[in-house]
Amino acid sequence: MVKAVDGVSFELGKGEAISLVGESGSGKTTLAKTILRLYEPTDGTLIFNGKDITHLNAKNLMWYRKTVQLVQQDPFGSLPYFLTIREILEEPLRIHKIGDERSRDELVYKALENVRLLPAEDFLPKYPHMISGGQAQRVAIARALILQPELIVADEPVSMLDASVRVEILMLLRELQENRKISFIYVTHDLSTSRYFSDKIFIMYAGHIVEKAATLEILREPLHPYTIALFEAIPDPDPSNVRRRRKTPVGEPPSLLDPPLGCRFHPRCPHAKDICRKKEPPEVEVSKLHTVKCWLFAQEDSEGGA
Amino acid sequence: MLTPLMEVKSLYLHYITRKGVVKAVDNINFNLNKGETISLVGESGCGKSSLARAIMRLLPKNIAKYEGNIFINGMDIMSLKDEDFKRRVRWKKVSIVFQGAMDSLNPLLKVGEQVAEPLMIHEGIPEKDAVERAGELLSLVGISRSFIDRYPFELSGGMQQRVLIAMALITRPEIVILDEPTSALDVITQANIMNILKDIKSELELSYIFITHDIALSTELSDRIAIMYAGKIVELTSLEAFLSDPLHPYAKLLLASVPTLRSTKKLSYIPGAPPSLLDPPLGCRFHPRCPHAKDICRKKEPPEVEVSKLHTVKCWLFAQDSEGVA
Repeated sequence: MVKAVDGVSFELGKGEAISLVGESGSGKTTLAKTILRLYEPTDGTLIFNGKDITHLNAKNLMWYRKTVQLVQQDPFGSLPYFLTIREILEEPLRIHKIGDERSRDELVYKALENVRLLPAEDFLPKYPHMISGGQAQRVAIARALILQPELIVADEPVSMLDASVRVEILMLLRELQENRKISFIYVTHDLSTSRYFSDKIFIMYAGHIVEKAATLEILREPLHPYTIALFEAIPDPDPSNVRRRRKTPVGEPPSLLDPPLGCRFHPRCPHAKDICRKKEPPEVEVSKLHTVKCWLFAQEDSEGGA
Repeated sequence: MLTPLMEVKSLYLHYITRKGVVKAVDNINFNLNKGETISLVGESGCGKSSLARAIMRLLPKNIAKYEGNIFINGMDIMSLKDEDFKRRVRWKKVSIVFQGAMDSLNPLLKVGEQVAEPLMIHEGIPEKDAVERAGELLSLVGISRSFIDRYPFELSGGMQQRVLIAMALITRPEIVILDEPTSALDVITQANIMNILKDIKSELELSYIFITHDIALSTELSDRIAIMYAGKIVELTSLEAFLSDPLHPYAKLLLASVPTLRSTKKLSYIPGAPPSLLDPPLGCRFHPRCPHAKDICRKKEPPEVEVSKLHTVKCWLFAQDSEGVA
């Protein structure tokens, strides 16, 4: 059994933007898809607006599907190539029986304006292959917004786009999210973009969230040895990098089929102690809004909170 | 002044497609000195990988134009016949590490044989000795010799990429082209690979051409940096000069769009998208997106202006029209 997401807990406030940051195989996408209820969790509970949605069936999930939207990595993969942009944006309105033909037309037009695909009438009759990657991702965002969701999950929404376009899309997402008080989960492997576009950062490793903190806090003082290793590995544009040798942890992330006992980072951790090899560390609240899942910050006999 | 190790002069590589001619590499000029790393940085479709293929003469069949000069130690390798090029240049003088190790390795060959293969083919060295040498190179890139009997699928992505690096080194080339060598890897693995590339560069006195879309990453290796846009090098200068004061409007905007972990600089972006190389804009190819575009930029291709020693910019802001000789 692959334990892709294993005992993860967090809360997301209304209008709050968080980043789930992790390397491939850390379980970040599985967590995102579970939140979207594209997967049904094997254990635990998912509460949305006070309502338990953990095991709702498809019929009872319709309202949730409307409230929670996804923006995926590859816009050309996520937009049906055989539909025009008008049809793509109309589809969610039809499915959720919103408006009549005329008011739908208006909503579609507005949706394109919101993501600044202007003039909208130029884009409406086009097919996805006729526009650029950045434009296609904006169509995907328009589609996610058209139902006025309360939560958007964006899974690596810019990792396939070029540098100059990437920032544009992230700024657009952030602006729309803030103006409409939409809650936002940004799933990414790229810590340096997450800092610009989220209030909090959650670091994932091997199916666990190992550190949670406000963005500025975690940037100022990363605590978990894995978070520190991740920071160390990321270059900023700096001429001194040429002479620098980065300290990297030994080995590679574990297979989730058979993760290490105790703390899952212990085989690579420079500070691993005996207990790290035996017992899973608790989540320790080192300060308000800053928790770290690591024995360095916990008392061995007081781990009750785990 | 010393002769450069490699000199690329007026290099062109155009492809024929059903839609027309793609001008992927369009009059490229640069020098590479011994022991130096030049990064070729640009967005997808700017022609950077085509430039690598043009240097390695690893070309598809649909070539419309492939000309120019590439001197290595004074010898024009463009004038060599394919047979001679294969025998004397490819892998021997210049080798390449591609991105996506999984697709570049033969799944049916053991790692040791795979790394040894260029030696056996190009130098006729017996398998046993070649595999022995492969083992040495594998340990140089941080892979235990015992891995020579493993198959690629038994290795992680980072290890596969290191195998590709070992393979590129086995024929003792002077120049190694690194074509996005870490783009499919996680950041910690990427940092590992960068460490290895730095180590072997000084140990084997290599020169690198580092192709990447990632400016932050390019600073890990570059002595000089060449910014490419739509098939052209628009600015070529030292890493320091580029980071502190890029001159070309595209280079400036591109640098301003790089998110950083440690500084609090404000991000910006470049409106619009790079042009199609099928039908690039007249004049300067960046003019439709350039905040400083003047009349001449729309009409006439800008010359490469030498603003200071070792710093060239292809932009009308730095040129007089009278220089329009370029």
